Amino acid sequence: MKNLTLRASVALACALSLAACGGSSGNLLLGGSVVGLTKPGLVLQNRTGPLLPVAAGATTFAFHELIGNDQDFEVKIATQPTGADCVLANNKGKSGAYNITSVIVTCVTQTRKLGGTITGLNVNGLVLVNGSDRLDVPAGATSFEMRKVADGAPYGISELPRPTRPACGVQNGSGIMGTTDIGNVVIAC
Amino acid sequence: MTLTFTRPALALALALTLAACGGKATFPVAGAIEGLKYDGLVLSTNGMDLPVAANATSFSFPNPLSYGEVYNVIAKAPPAHQTCSVASFQGRTGVLYNGPTDTAGRFGAINIGVLCTTNVVVLSGTIKGLASTTSLQLINGSDGGIVTAVGTGADLTFTLPSVAYGKTYGITVLAEPADQICSVSNGTGEMTDTAPVNIEVTCVKKT
Repeated sequence: MKNLTLRASVALACALSLAACGGSSGNLLLGGSVVGLTKPGLVLQNRTGPLLPVAAGATTFAFHELIGNDQDFEVKIATQPTGADCVLANNKGKSGAYNITSVIVTCVTQTRKLGGTITGLNVNGLVLVNGSDRLDVPAGATSFEMRKVADGAPYGISELPRPTRPACGVQNGSGIMGTTDIGNVVIAC
Repeated sequence: MTLTFTRPALALALALTLAACGGKATFPVAGAIEGLKYDGLVLSTNGMDLPVAANATSFSFPNPLSYGEVYNVIAKAPPAHQTCSVASFQGRTGVLYNGPTDTAGRFGAINIGVLCTTNVVVLSGTIKGLASTTSLQLINGSDGGIVTAVGTGADLTFTLPSVAYGKTYGITVLAEPADQICSVSNGTGEMTDTAPVNIEVTCVKKT
């Protein structure tokens, strides 16, 4: 009697799962939110399952493969984006009865140094700016470094005009930050 | 139903307050300020004006109100270079501040929020000499992205994202047409209260 009931319920469960998701092993969504992803190339994976590419700018993700009840999951980063570092939270556990949407991927775009050399600066008062970033440079300085700039962001160094001193020239002052530090900006005074 | 309950509760609260402080329930009109950086802010309510100094993080009007008096706090004069609003908002520490107007005694204490933000000023200029159908990219350092202008044969206007008072800006050329050299004049400065009017980008043919 007991056996019969068990068999019947297993059969029913089987039928339901099959009906729900076309023959795959479960009916629960596995996914979550993505924060700060501005760069391409992120690939996620659940255990040893299929790879899931996540595009730049995405704010959510969900694996195409549904998982079953009471099943272990572990979301992993198969490939980091180019120029950014992502970390996971709430990414490991066992499924219950409900969809899992609590996995959090937090990404931070890498930043690079922005600087260069200065020649002929023998008076105080040089102020270099990269937009709102402002740097006061003392007399005698032969190099400078601005605040770091995010991978892929533009930069443009110019000199704040001062009535008290002649202007210096800026070479290689503008560009797009790439994958390596910038150190070739030349300020010639 | 709510009223029938609220009234006795208020009466009780009042009675308790009165009992606690010898018959005189008073409520100072006070609150918190976030973001204030400059002098000049004057708050006003119930016939009182309260000048608030730069960088203040709280305020309290000199004369407390009696139970039942209605208050309506306004920013009568803004601080220099900033705009303040009196509003209900969640403070940085998670405290929920009350809005500008209510009746003294409805809450145990009056705790109004004042939020100040620094004014932003338009950053724009003129492009001269850009050859037709060629494009020019301008930036303000790493702030606010890239503006692309396409030549039409006539002078053009460009606008970069606005800049807060007191911040530096520095407009530079990120990309110019292959056979032109473009240079920026008056493109670097420190933002004042009014938009700079003499920023000019001039493109000339390479020689």
